[in-house]
Amino acid sequence: MGHATSSDPNIFILPDLGEGVHEAELIAWKVAVGDTVEEHQTLAEMETDKALVEVPSPRAGVIASLNGREGEICKVGDVLVTYEGASNGAAPSPNARDERSESRDSSALPEAEREDAGTVVGSVSNDPIMPSQGGKALATPAVRRLARDLGVNIDSIAGTGLAGRVTEKDVRAASNGAPGAPASAPPPSPSGRGPGRGATATLAPSQPAPTYSPPPSLPAPAAGQTQRIPFRGTRRTIAARLRQSIDTAVHFTVMDEADVSALDALRKQTAAASGESVSFLPFVISAICRAVKHFPALNATVDEAAQEILRHPSVHMGIATDTEHGLNVPVIPDADALGVLEIGRHVAQLAQMARDRSIPRERLMGSTITISNVGSYAGRFATPVINIPEVAILAVGRVREGVVVRNGGLHVGKLMPLSLACDHRVVDGAEAARCLALIVELLQSPEQLLAPARR
Amino acid sequence: MPIKVAYQATIEYMQILDEQGGLDAKLARDTLTDDQVVMLYEHMSMCRRLDEIAFKLQRSGRLGTYPQNMGQEAIASVALAARPQDWMVPCYRENAALYLHGLPPEMILLHWMGDERGNQIPEGLNITPMSIPIGSHMLHAAGIGWAARIRGDDQVAFTFFGDGATSEGDFHEACNFAGVMHAPVVFICQNNQWAISTPRSKQTRSETFAQKGIAYGLKVRQVDGNDIFAIFRAAREAVADALKGQPTMIETLTYRLGDHTTADDARRYRDPAELEAARKRDPLIRTRKYLESKDLWSADQEEAMIERNKAQVDDIVARATNIEKPKTTDIFDAMFATIPPELARQRDTMQTNSLGQFPQQETLRRGATAHSPTQSPAHA
Repeated sequence: MGHATSSDPNIFILPDLGEGVHEAELIAWKVAVGDTVEEHQTLAEMETDKALVEVPSPRAGVIASLNGREGEICKVGDVLVTYEGASNGAAPSPNARDERSESRDSSALPEAEREDAGTVVGSVSNDPIMPSQGGKALATPAVRRLARDLGVNIDSIAGTGLAGRVTEKDVRAASNGAPGAPASAPPPSPSGRGPGRGATATLAPSQPAPTYSPPPSLPAPAAGQTQRIPFRGTRRTIAARLRQSIDTAVHFTVMDEADVSALDALRKQTAAASGESVSFLPFVISAICRAVKHFPALNATVDEAAQEILRHPSVHMGIATDTEHGLNVPVIPDADALGVLEIGRHVAQLAQMARDRSIPRERLMGSTITISNVGSYAGRFATPVINIPEVAILAVGRVREGVVVRNGGLHVGKLMPLSLACDHRVVDGAEAARCLALIVELLQSPEQLLAPARR
Repeated sequence: MPIKVAYQATIEYMQILDEQGGLDAKLARDTLTDDQVVMLYEHMSMCRRLDEIAFKLQRSGRLGTYPQNMGQEAIASVALAARPQDWMVPCYRENAALYLHGLPPEMILLHWMGDERGNQIPEGLNITPMSIPIGSHMLHAAGIGWAARIRGDDQVAFTFFGDGATSEGDFHEACNFAGVMHAPVVFICQNNQWAISTPRSKQTRSETFAQKGIAYGLKVRQVDGNDIFAIFRAAREAVADALKGQPTMIETLTYRLGDHTTADDARRYRDPAELEAARKRDPLIRTRKYLESKDLWSADQEEAMIERNKAQVDDIVARATNIEKPKTTDIFDAMFATIPPELARQRDTMQTNSLGQFPQQETLRRGATAHSPTQSPAHA
C-alpha cells in the first residue's frame, strides 16, 4: 500500500481507498465539470472489492475534468479529477454539463452506448420524488446504495434521521409510497443492428462488437420492465474467471451414463449402518480419486507463466457450489486419503459453510480437479466450464430410473449421467474417454469405493 | 460432608446518565461538575469532527488506514478521573481520553500517516504510543503499575482494549500479574460489541467480559460506556483502589458506530437495525440532552461550537500535514545517544555493509527524500 499523491495540487489521483486496494469501480459522480467544490466534499461514489465508499475532495476548487465513466474500473494511481489552476479563475463554465459528457471519450464507446449517452446508466433516476431540500442528502453509504438499488433519488428525500439524515426507512417510504416512483432507467432502444427478419440468429464472424439486441420475434419490453443490474462484485469475479477459462482452456466434453443401481443399494446400506445420510456425491468423488490415479493427466493444473503442466500426487477436490451469493468452489483437501463417509461429512460441512458464508479463504483455494453436481434440479448432461488452472471437471446429472441392458435382458435401473470436460491442451480425447469409462466401471461395482483411494 | 459454596461473585452494572439525558442524581453526586460536563461535551464533539475528517483524509489519500472512534467518545471521562502523573496505555479507540490527558491531537494523525513523530510522546506526558497489535500492551501497563509500586510512585496505569483483546493470552497474563503483584492498574475493556467482524456472541461464552477479571482477583465493574458520569465514577473509584494495591477491570458497554477501520465495511456483516438502535445511545446525544435540560446549553452555543470545532480541526490537520518532511538521516538518530562509528559512516555515506557498499548507492543521498507515509495496518 502506498498513497501516491500528485505533486501538482490540481491533479487528484485515485488513492488506495482501503488497504491494499488496487482499483475501484466508479459508481457515480457527485460533481460535474465546472462545479465549485469544498474540501472534503464528496466527488464520487466508488466500490472497491471490500466496500462502497465516498471519495472526498482533497481541496477546495473548481473541477476541470472528471476521468472515468460510471461503471468503469479505475486504477489506484490514475488521475481521477483535475482542478482548474488558480489562474483560471473560479467562474464555472456555463456549459459544464455538456463539457462533462463531451469529456468522455465517446468515440471509444460501442454504438448502442453512445446512443444512450446523456441518460443515466444504472437505476438512479433524476426525477425528484419529493421536493428537493436543496443540496446533498446526508445519508450513510448503505442507505445510498439502497436508494440506488430502489431507483430513488436520495437528494430529493427529506431525511428524518439525526441532523436530517436520510434513513433506510425514508428511502423505503419514498420507494413504496411516493406516487410516480420512478422506474428504472429506460430500456435500451433496439439498435436495429440485430439479425434481420428471417435471418438466422448466428452472427457472422466478421460482425463487429456483438451488441445484444432483442430477437425480432419478441416484442420490446415495455418501459419500466427492464431491470438494469450493475455488473459487479461476486458476479463480475465469476464472469471474469469463466471468461478466462473459456479463453484459455480448449474445452471438450465426453459423456456417458453409469448404472448406479448397486451403488444406490450400497449407499442406503451404508447410511443405515452408519446412521449418517449418504448421498451419491461422496461415491463419485471417491471414484474420481481412484480413476485419476490411472490417468494422472486429469489431476493437473497448468502454470501458464512457466508454461508447465503440474501433475499432483494427491487429489484436492473442488466442489462447485451454487449459493445465493454466487458460485464458489470450496475444496476438500486430500480427498483421495478419505473414505466415503469422511468425504460425505466434508461435503455436508462445506455446504453449511457455503450457506452461512463462513468458508475460510484457504478452503476456497488449491483444488486440483472439480466436480459439479448439476443434477439436483434437472438436466442430464452438461458441458461444464473448467475451473482453471485445473484441466478437468466432472458434471454429475440427476439420477433417474431408466432401462438398462444387463446380460442381454432389459431391466429398470438407476442411471447417473456423467459429463467430463477436459482441457484438450493437456488431456487427449481417448485419455478422457478411458478415464470416464473407468469412473463408470467403479460406480457400477462400488464396494471398493468405501475405503480411501490413497493409503 | 455437605457441599459448600467455594466462591460466589456478582457483577454490578452502573448507568448514571440514561439515553434520554436523565440523570440519577444520587449516583451522580460528587462526580462531574456542570463545567466539566460542558467541557466534556465540547471535547467529545471536537473528537467526533476530527474523527470524521480523519476518515475523509484517508479516502482522499492523505492518511493511511484509520480506525474510527465514532460512538466511543465518552471514554474521555477517564482522563478526568486520572491525575496528570497517571499513565495511559492505549490501543486505538480512546483518542478522546488521550487528547484530554494532554496528547496533541495531530500526533494521532501523524501516526496514521505513517510518520514516526506521531509516536514521539512529548516529555512529561505519561502516555505510551498507540498499540496496534491486539492486546500486547496490557502487559506494559501491568509492568508500569508494578514499577510504580516498587518505586513508591503515586501513579496508576490505565490501559484500554477492546472486547476481542480479552481472547488474547496476554490479557490474562496481564490481569494475573497485576492481581498477584497488587499493581496499581486499571484495565478498561471498551466492549463495543464487535472485534472487526466477530460479534460479541462469538467472542466469549461469558455473560460479561468483566467477570474474566474476577478470576485474577481484580475488582470488576460494568458500566454504560456512553455515559460520562458512570465512566468517571468507576474510574475514580478504581484510582483509589489501585493506590491501595487493588487493581480493577472496568467493562464499558458501548458501540462502534463506524467500521473497524477504513479498510473494513461493517455493512457486510452487521445488521443495519442494530446500528440504528446503537445510534440512539450515542454519548453526544444524551450529554447534549442533559445539558439542555439543565439550561447549560443552547442552540446558539451549539452553532458556535460547531464553527469552533471546524476551525480547531482544520488547525490540527494543518499541523499534521504541514510538518516538515523527515530527513533520510533521521533513521540513524533515534536509537543511540552517541551514534556508533559504523552507523555514523553509514549515515554519512548512505552505503551499507550488507549491500556491499556499491558506489552507485551514493545516489540514494540525493534521491532519498522520498517519504513513504505508510504504516502497517491495524490488526486487520
